[in-house]
Order: sequence, then C-alpha cells, then structure tokens
Amino acid sequence: MGTDLFMLAQAGFPEPMGGATLAHYLLISVLMFAIGLIGFLTRRNLIVMFLCTELMFQAAGIALIAFSRFHLEHSGQTFVIFVLTVAAAEAAMALALVVLLFRKRESLDADEWTEMKG
Amino acid sequence: MTIASDIMGSILHGALGAPGASGAALPAIEAGPWWVSLIPALPLLACILCGVSAAMRIKSKLPAWITVGCLGVSFALTAAMFQQLAGGRSVTIAWEWINVAWTDSGGHERSLIANFGFYVDSLTCLWMLFVTGLATLIALYASEYMSHDVGTGYCRFFAAFGLFVFSMACLVMGDNLILLYLGWEGVGLCSYLLIGYFYKKPSAVAAAKKAFIMNRIGDLGLALGIFLAFVQFGSVEYKVILEAAQPWLAAAQAGHFDEIPATVQLIPILLMIGAFGKSAQLPLYVWLPDAMEGPTPVSALIHAATMVTAGVYLIARTYPLFLVSEYALPIVAWVGALTALVAATIGMAQFDIKRIMAYSTVSQLGYMFAGLGVLTSTGAAFHVFTHAFFKASLFLSCGAVMHGFAGQLDLRKLSGVGFMKGWQFVAIAMLVGCLNLAGFPFTAGYFSKDMILAEAFVTPHMAPIGWILLLTAGLTAYYTFRVFFRVFVGPKYYEPGDEVHAHSDHGHGDHGHGEHGHDAHGHAGDHGHAAGEFHPHAPGWAINFVLLTLTVLSVGAAGLYFLGDHGGWVGKMVHASSANYPPIVDLAAHSGEAADAHAHADHGAHGSFLGMDPHKVMYYVSGIVGFVGIAIAFALHYVGRKTAATANADKLVPLLGPIPKLAQGKWFVDEVYDLLIVKPLHLISIVFAYIDKLLVDGLVNAFGWVPRGVGSGLRPLQSGNLHSYAVQMAGGVAVLLLIVFLASIAGL
Amino acid sequence: MELVLLILVPLAFAILIALRPAQEAKFHAVIGTLLAAGIGVNALGRFDWGTPATMQLSAAWDWLPTLGLRLSVGVDSVSLMLIALTLLLGPICVFCSFTAIQEKERTYYGWLLVLQAAMTGVFASRDIVLFYTCFEFTLVPMYVLISLFGSTNRKAAATKFFLYTFTGSVITLAGLVYIAWFNATQLDSIGIQSAGRWTFDIAALEAAAQAMPANVQGWLLLAMMCGFAIKIPLFPVHTWLPLAHTEAPTAGSVVLAGVLLKLGTYGMFRFVLPFLPAAVLEYAPIIATLSIIGILYGGLICWVQTDVKKLVAYSSVAHLGFCILGLAALNTVGITGSILYMINHGLSTGALFLLIGMVYERYHTRSMKELGGLACKMPVWATFMVFFTMASVGLPGLNGFISEFMCLMGAFQAGDKWGSLPGGTGGDLGFWYALIAGLGMIIAAMYLLYMVGRVVWGPLVLPAGHDDHGHDGGGSHGPLPTDLCAREIFVLLPLAVLCIALGLFPKPVIKALEPAVNNVVETINATGKRPDAASGVKAMNDLPGLPSSADVRHVSDADVSVASSSPTVQWGGALSGGDK
Repeated sequence: MGTDLFMLAQAGFPEPMGGATLAHYLLISVLMFAIGLIGFLTRRNLIVMFLCTELMFQAAGIALIAFSRFHLEHSGQTFVIFVLTVAAAEAAMALALVVLLFRKRESLDADEWTEMKG
Repeated sequence: MTIASDIMGSILHGALGAPGASGAALPAIEAGPWWVSLIPALPLLACILCGVSAAMRIKSKLPAWITVGCLGVSFALTAAMFQQLAGGRSVTIAWEWINVAWTDSGGHERSLIANFGFYVDSLTCLWMLFVTGLATLIALYASEYMSHDVGTGYCRFFAAFGLFVFSMACLVMGDNLILLYLGWEGVGLCSYLLIGYFYKKPSAVAAAKKAFIMNRIGDLGLALGIFLAFVQFGSVEYKVILEAAQPWLAAAQAGHFDEIPATVQLIPILLMIGAFGKSAQLPLYVWLPDAMEGPTPVSALIHAATMVTAGVYLIARTYPLFLVSEYALPIVAWVGALTALVAATIGMAQFDIKRIMAYSTVSQLGYMFAGLGVLTSTGAAFHVFTHAFFKASLFLSCGAVMHGFAGQLDLRKLSGVGFMKGWQFVAIAMLVGCLNLAGFPFTAGYFSKDMILAEAFVTPHMAPIGWILLLTAGLTAYYTFRVFFRVFVGPKYYEPGDEVHAHSDHGHGDHGHGEHGHDAHGHAGDHGHAAGEFHPHAPGWAINFVLLTLTVLSVGAAGLYFLGDHGGWVGKMVHASSANYPPIVDLAAHSGEAADAHAHADHGAHGSFLGMDPHKVMYYVSGIVGFVGIAIAFALHYVGRKTAATANADKLVPLLGPIPKLAQGKWFVDEVYDLLIVKPLHLISIVFAYIDKLLVDGLVNAFGWVPRGVGSGLRPLQSGNLHSYAVQMAGGVAVLLLIVFLASIAGL
Repeated sequence: MELVLLILVPLAFAILIALRPAQEAKFHAVIGTLLAAGIGVNALGRFDWGTPATMQLSAAWDWLPTLGLRLSVGVDSVSLMLIALTLLLGPICVFCSFTAIQEKERTYYGWLLVLQAAMTGVFASRDIVLFYTCFEFTLVPMYVLISLFGSTNRKAAATKFFLYTFTGSVITLAGLVYIAWFNATQLDSIGIQSAGRWTFDIAALEAAAQAMPANVQGWLLLAMMCGFAIKIPLFPVHTWLPLAHTEAPTAGSVVLAGVLLKLGTYGMFRFVLPFLPAAVLEYAPIIATLSIIGILYGGLICWVQTDVKKLVAYSSVAHLGFCILGLAALNTVGITGSILYMINHGLSTGALFLLIGMVYERYHTRSMKELGGLACKMPVWATFMVFFTMASVGLPGLNGFISEFMCLMGAFQAGDKWGSLPGGTGGDLGFWYALIAGLGMIIAAMYLLYMVGRVVWGPLVLPAGHDDHGHDGGGSHGPLPTDLCAREIFVLLPLAVLCIALGLFPKPVIKALEPAVNNVVETINATGKRPDAASGVKAMNDLPGLPSSADVRHVSDADVSVASSSPTVQWGGALSGGDK
C-alpha cells in the first residue's frame, strides 16, 4: 500500500499537461504547509500567525486541486472554491477580532491572552 | 413419614371401612336463582348508602336503620335460599370477573376463570344463616351502642359493618377460591377498619395494623394454595376441584398416600396456613386478643362469631382435599388442640373480661380445628354454630357492662353487677352464655363440644388430642365462671372506667368526629361531669332485646342436636355438602351402611375412652369436667369474697411459682415474636436503607465521578496559551503521520 | 389519524402556551389535555376490539426513505390502554397543579404538554427510531419539571435522572440499531419479507431479531435491558427513582410513577419479549430474581422511611418488581397481569402522589415525624388515602389485586415441575419464586399500613406553626381549605372509580389484552425453543464482534474485504467515466 502511494505521486498527469508530475504540486503544497506551521509555532505577532494559518490553508487547497486534476474529478476544485470563499470571510472576521484585541491590550502578542485557561 | 402415613391411612381406613368404588356422587349443580346475588349485594348497598350519608353529613341514626334493614332482608333471602335448596347444589353467576384463556404447549385450551358466582349448598346455607342473622342482630345492638358517635363516625362504623357482611358473604358463597380470597381479605380490611375505629388511640391503630399483617401472612399461604390448586386442577372453581379430588379418596381410604401426587397433598397444607391466620390459631393467634380494641359489637360479630370461623369454613369447604393429604388433618388437629390449651391457660390469668372472652374465642376455635382434624366436620360445624350464638351473647354482655361503666373491663373493679337495677337481662344473658361456654350439661355448647371430644377418642391415634381437649374443657369452665362469679354476683361494687376521668381532657376538638378514643365516652360525659358522681348506665331496649334473642337462640341451638341422627340438623346440613365425612363417594358405595359408617359400626379399628365407647361415655365425662371447672371457680372466686379486688384464688397464686405471671403475660409470645422477627427485620431494613444509599447509589455516583476525575486530570492541558495549543496540534498531527508512515512501511 | 392528533394536539397547545401570556397558560393546558382526552375517547371507540392484537388506527409517512425511516404509528390493545392511562393522567396533572405552581406557569404547563405528547408517541410508534426519539424526548420535559419546579435538592435529582436514564437508553439504542443492521445486511430475504434492506419497522425487525442465534440475542437482551431496566427501575439500577420522585413536583411524580416507569416495562413487553425469545427463555430466572430482590429490598427500605413521598417512591421499586416478575413468567396469566399492573400502578400510586402533594401544599412537609393523625382534620383526604393505600396493598376488589395476583400466579405456574399439569405452563420459575415474591405482599402491608398508621390515624401531629386544634384561621394554607376542595376531589374521583371498576370488572380489559399477550407467549414458545433459531442467517456462527462466537476474526476480515471492495468498483466507474 505504501509503495502504491509513492508510485502514484511520481506518475504524470493525464494529457494535456506535460512535464509536471503530481509530486511537484504536492511538494509545493508540503513546503507551504511546513512554512506556515513553523511560522505559526514560532511567531508571537497575531497578524503574522494569522497569515501563517492562511498559508497552511492554501497549501491544502493546492493539494486538493492537484489531486482533482490528477483524477479528472472536478469536485476537488469545486471544494477549493468553497474553501477560498470561506477563507475570505474568515479572514475578514479574524482581522476584525485582531483589531479589537489590539485595542484592548495595545499589543499584538499572542501570549498576552490566556483567558481561556481551564 | 411412614408413621404419619400410617396414622392418616389407618384413620381413614378405620373410619371408612373398605375403600369404596369411586363415582360421581356429589349432587348435580343447578343454575341458582338470580336473587341469591342479592344476599351479598344488599350489605354492599348498605355500605354505599352509609358512605353517602357520611358525605351528606347526616347526624341521625339513619345509617344504622339502613344497615339493619338491608341485613334483615339479606337474612330473609338466605332463609329463602335455604328453603329452596333442598339438599342440592346450585351456582348463581352475577357477572364474570376474571377470565384468561390460553393454549398450552400441548395444544389444550386452558383458562383461569373466576366469576362473581355464588355456590350454594347446605354448608353455604348453614354459614350464611348465622352470619346474616347475627349481623342483623348485632347491627341492631350497635345502633344503640354506637349512639354516642352519631355523625361521621356512626356512618363510618356502619359502612364498614355493611362491607364486612358483603365480604363475608363473598367468602362463604363464592363459587371459586379467588372469590373466597376476595372475601377473605375483604373481611380482613373491615376488621382493620373496625379495630382501628378509635383511630386516635395508638393502641387501636397498632392492633388494627397487627391484625391485618398477621392475616396477610396467612393469606400468602392461602394464595399459594390457590395457585397450586389451579396448577393441579386447572381451575379454581369448587365444582371442578371437589370433583377432581374424588378419585383419590379411595386411595386415601386405603392408606395408599404414595399413589396421590405430592402436589395434591401440598394444597391443603398451604390452604391451612391461611385458615390459621384468619382463625387465630398457633402460631398466628396473637392478633385476635389485641383486636378487642375495636368497639364491642365488632368484637362480637367479627372477632367471635363470624370472621374468625372463616378458617373452619375454608377447611370444611375443601374437606375432600384435606382428606387426601397425608399430613394435613393431623396437623390441623394438633394445632387446634394446642391452640385451645395455650389460649385457655392465658385466659385463666387475665383480668380484662373482654380479653378473657377473646382468648376463649381462640381456644374454642382451636376446638373447631381439632374437630376438623379428628374427622368430625359435623362436630366442628356444630361448634361453630353454637359458639357463634353464645359467644356473641357473651361479648355483647361484656360490651353492655363496658358501655354502662364507662369502659370498665377489669374484673377486680366490678362486682355484683347482676344485682344492680336494670342489669338483670345482661346477667341472665351472661349466665346462659357462660353455661354454654363451660359445657354445662344440656346446653348447646355441651353437645357441640361433646361431639368433638368423643370423636377425638374414637378416631385412632388421636387420643392425646382428646385428653388435651378434655383438660381444656375443664380450664374453660373455670375461667368462664371466674368472670361470672367475680363480675355478676357477689357484693355490689364498681369503679367507673377511665373514660370518666378522661373526659376533662376532651374539652376542645371536634365532637362530631368520634375522636375521643373510647366508645362509652358520650354517656360517661352525661353522667360524669362532677368527678366521683358516677352512675352506671343500664342498657336500653335495643341492647336488651338483642341479648334476650341471642340467649334464646343459644339455648335453642341445643334443640338442633335432636333434629335428626348423627349430629342433628347441623349434621344433616354438613352431610349434604362436600364437607361431609365420610365422603359422599363412600356413602354411595355403602348406601345401606351409610349411617353405620358414621356411627362407627366397625368397632375393631376404633379408639376408645379408657376401654369404653366414647360416644356414650363422653356425655358424662365432659359434663363432670365442666362441673369440676365451675366448682373450682365457685370455690376460688365466689365463696367468701368480700370485695371486688380479692378472692380466694389469690392465695393460690404464690404456690404456682412463676406460672401465673407467665400466663398473665400471655407466655410473652408477642415479645418473643418481636425479638425474633420484628426487631431483626427492622434492623435488616435499616441496613438495607444504608446499603442503598451508600453502596448501590454510591456505585452510581462513583461512575459519575470517573469522567470528572479524568477531566480534572486533563485540565492543565487547557492552558489558554495559543502557542501551546498549536504545539499540541502539531504534535498530534506528527504522531498520526508517524503512525501512517510506520504502517505503510510495515505493509499493513 | 387519531394517534397523530394525540401527539400533535398537546404539542400545538404547548406552542400556544409559549406564545400567549402566562395568565392564560392554565386555561390552554386544560383545554389541550381535555381535547387530547376527547380524541383518545374517540380512538377507543374507533378501535376494533374484536381484533385487539392487530395494529390499528395506523398511519405512516416516509421520513428518511434511504435509511428506511418512517413516521409510522399504530396501536394494539396494550399500547392503547397505556395511551389511555397517559391521556387520563394528563388533565389530572394539570388540575392538581393549579395552586401548587404559581410562577413560571408557561414553562410548567408547556413542558407538561410536551411530555404528554412524547409519552403518547412512545406507545403509538411502530418505528424503532421514532420510538427511541420519543422515549428519549420524555427526558427533556421531565428534566425541566424537576429542575425548575422541584424541592430543595432538585438540580442534583434532575441531573441524576437525566444522565442515568439517558446512559442506559443509549445502549438500548445500540441494541435496536444492531437489529436493524442485522436485518439489512446479515439476513437472506428468504422467509423474512423485509430482510436485506434497511428498515426500522418494529414488526419487520421482530421477525429479523427472532432469527438471531441465541448468543446474539443474549447480548442484545443485555443491551436493551440497560435502558429498560433503568427506566422501570429494576433492582440494582433503581437509585435515581427515589431521588427524582422526592424532588419532583406533584404532577411530575404522578407522571413519573404513572407513565414514565411504564415506558421501561412497555419496552420489555414490546421489544425484549418478542424480539429475543431464546434469550428471554434463558435469562428469565435472572430477571425474575432481580425483580424479587427489588420487591423485598425495596419494600423493606420503605418500611424505615420517614419521608412519605420517598416511601411511596420506594414502593414503586417493589411494585414494579411484581410487574417484571409477571413478564418473566412468560405465560399468559403472568404477562396479562403485568400489563394490568402497569395500568393499576399508574392509577393507585399516581393517586397516592396526588394525595401527598395535597398535604404538602397545606403543611409544607412530608415527614412522618411532623405529620400524624390527619384523619380528624381532613376526613375526606383520609378516606381517599386509605382507599388508595388499599388499592396499592393489593386488596381484592380493587385494581391492584387482580394484577398482583395474576403476576404471582403466572410466576407460580411457570415451574418446570408442573409443566404437564393442567394449570402449569412450564418454565424456570415456580413455587419458590412465587413464595418469596409473595412475601412482598406482607411487606407491602407492613410499610403501607405503617404509613397510614402514622399519617392518617393516631393522635394529631402538625408541623410547628400550625394550630393543633383545628382552628387554623384559614390563612395558613393559602387559598386551600383545611380538607380537600372540590377541585381536588374531582381530580381523585376518576382514579378511585377506575380502581373499583378495574377491580370488579377486569374481564373486558383482560379479554382485550389476552390475544396480544397470547401472540407474544406463542412466539416465545415457538421460536425461542427452536433448535436452529438462526435458520435464515448467512453464516450463522460467523457474526462479528461476539466474544462467544468462535470465528470472530475470520469473519471481520471477510467483512472488511467486502467493505473495501465496493468503493473500488465505484472508483473504476468514475475513471471510466472520465475517459469518455
């Protein structure tokens, strides 16, 4: 089963998409996701952290589109459209929240807030 | 086991002669007339009308007249039923009550049917005649006796009274065991309600509760007996059960009890537990003396004349079942004889005259059971019949005394009552009653008791029972006349009962509701306003009339003995029913010798009384024993008695050591029961209550604590810090990826 | 159609109550419950009593057709009797609350009506999911009623009630869904009509469940009893009941004792007995033993209570023990008695709770140390109290006797010793079960007469602040007179009349129940003892997830391969579609 996966990743796309394999797209996706994750874990600035989450989001989107094209199945791309829409709405909400938080403490440091401690 | 088998077998064999051919000899069952249903229905109507009276707040004697009227009509109908019956059997079905049908695994249609149907044969008539007759008379007596309580209490009394007669009629007339059970518990309820009539008195409430619970113990046995009878015969109706038992009678006569299924033999043993409870036999007798907390008419009707004879009725009704059981009748005989003796010894040492009468009731019921046990169902039924009249008159006389002397019942505080103005009727009634109870020659009680005594010596292996009963007869004569010589003759003296003094406590409260805790209160109030100025209150016309009637009846009952052979009129009635002994099946086989069979022509197997024929010699022996008892009472309680409180008997007391004290303390049976059963059970209940709270519920709560504990253990993870959440998430994803990776390497 | 109306009318009135002002709540509640009762009377009239065992007055709509879910209702005589009991107690609960509930009336009456709708739904539903939905939905109104309108410890009682019964019911749901799954995937359609497709129809699943092997039935019995036994409540899982009863408002207790407990016994009758005959035959002695322990243990605990309401609550544990004993007898007399017991217990114990509530409203205590001898102050109340106590004790002539006697008799008949005798039915109970359970009759007399002896008879005892001499100045009871008022008598009278009617004329009811019960008994005897109980099952010994089954692992593999193969097929189809 494991070997199946690797073979699948190196296979070329169905025509007419020459050159790039599924592995290329997935690599980009993984890289973007890793950058986003590392950024999220290391940075304290709320806005930067938020940007990092967006980065991970889009990484997932790329993977979805790649697989969708690979399988000639359009539902994956449709999903990405949905995800983008939701992400846009969410971004608006999140930025508004960040602004509110900034107004409260005059700081963007994520560690300032531990109100949800159980 | 072999001994018991031998005893029972030889009893039956000896008494019956050779086993007869079994055949359907019971008379055919006809459809009875519809108006038979009115006999129980009228008392119920009276009960309902009394309830309506209570709701309408009627403050007159109307409920009493309603009850007397309904019961009187009921009695008349019973007499008509007796006239119509003419030795046959009939069943009248009022409506169908319980009816469940199913198909069993063998494909047979089975059903449990119990109708509100009334089975009428001569035994039913015998019982119903004295039940309705006495109930009418005693209701009349109570109309005067309870008059202080006119209002709600009066209605309550007569409602329960009517309900009692209804239940008793169902018990006696029911055509199946479940309807008998209905009557059985119904009379128990009425007994509960009427013992607890003075519900403000804790002792009355406790006595009522005790009576109900003691009876319930017996009822459980009865219920199991009914279940087993149903399982065995597939029916609870007499017409089926009595018929079904016939084939085994032959085997029983031959002493071949191993041919009779064990389940059949178990049925009567279960049924008799119920009988012991209701008829206050060992070991369940302790409720009856306490039941005297109720108003005296109740004691007379329910706890002397009718309800307590239900056990005798049950055994007589299902006599064929008892005959086919190896142990049943010997147990009944022994329990009856021992109860008779124990109750008599307690009765000798009591001072409360009503209690003495209560113990004498227990004792006489013992006689009846012993009579059934020694195979004289006629003797038992005759004793039930005579006892009903003379014991009712004794109780009502005691009640009249209690009524007139403000609740005074202590024989040490009353003397010479018979010589006081207006008390002559009571004294005569009391004397006649005492003579009957003591078995004075040529009284009704003499003949009925004699039948049982003679039969005890006739029936093989039962002579010890006979001796016990003979001793008891002497004791009975003694304690009966102890009461008479102390209270009704001798120097005139009285102290009023506590109700005079108690009156001052009753200044407030609602007088209409009978809350004063004692029946004679109203009259005591009339006469006792100034302390110390108490006048006895002689009975009025209703009480005197009833006493006189009962006296005449109890004397007249003796005449029944001469109406026909073999136990007189009562014997005829019993012979014509299923309670007949020897069984009818046998009579059919020995048609010519039927009379001889009862007269024990077959002398070879018979017991004897010191080598003489008990039937002939017992008249003299029991008469002499009775005389001796009366003479001792005369010597100890009349001769030389100057005051009410002391008598010659007191000199004897120290000579007997601890016995008088023990007897006065009722052999401390109540205390022993309390110590051995009630207290441990209460302790167990308390332990259970704690187990329930701590262990059973504790485990449930422990389950509730598990999630809470887990939650509080995991709580620190929820730090509130965004970064720590992120790290946990990333860590989690890493672990999942690792698992997937390892799994793919392993090739799973 | 009546059945749907019976569910919808109370719901509609609940909504109406929520929308209208609080002063009108009482009025709408009365109209709603009376209207429902009227429809119920109509349903009783339309029911064909000639064929009481067949499902009648049915109605059904598709709900989620892909899953086979249907909103399907229908009643046989057993369901209809219990619905009638629910509809009778509905108005009684409303009437008895007029003075007791003074605030948040809309919440109270609204939820009361919702509760009635849910209970009716349980008895009427012919679809397992609908049954379960209603079964669980009774918890919500009851939770609200206890936690908002109860006495001092109400929050804890309500929470315990909810969590305890809910936990059990979830397991019951698992069992029921397993049967549906079994029917859809494990059965050949030969012989059983509806097999091989998803359905939650009770009748269809009954046939499917009977085809299960005995060991599977055993596990399902355990699963189902988890929910039903807690609801009944059977002996070791009863502890929520006294607490909930003691804390609930009067109407809550009446409904709880009258109907909610019967959901458990009804569930046993409707699901456990006919669905799992083999397991029931095997485990009947255990169930009977637990019920007998409940009878004696519950009864003895009653005897040492000082809180009247707690005493009556524990008495429910003892009484329902008789009910379960009758069911476990697995014969016609026992089961008929048990169903009668469900109705009778609702009447008599419901009335006892009403009576206790009436005293509580006047004296604000339920302790026997503070109350005594009320007969002289409240003779009408005392008369009713003695009456219903006697009904509860099982006095012949009143309703309790018929059912108690039949339950005990059923247990007695079910002895293996007398399988061949005319009145014996064979089984694993018998003499000793009946004898020991019969001791409960004596204990019942002990504790109930102890209660009556303390509270009704004896010298007058009233809590501090009340005049002992019968002159209470009118003000201390609020709007209530010393003795019962007309409204309270009106509430009690129908129950009393029914107690007498069912005690003296039970035959029509018995005859109506009999065919339905006989069906169940015959099912148990016919299928439970069948040597090859699982004739229609594919690979009957190879069922997954059963510890006692030998080849569990092997079958799970087969299952997985089946499950994983079917997506592949779709996958291929998608690919080929893409190629075009």
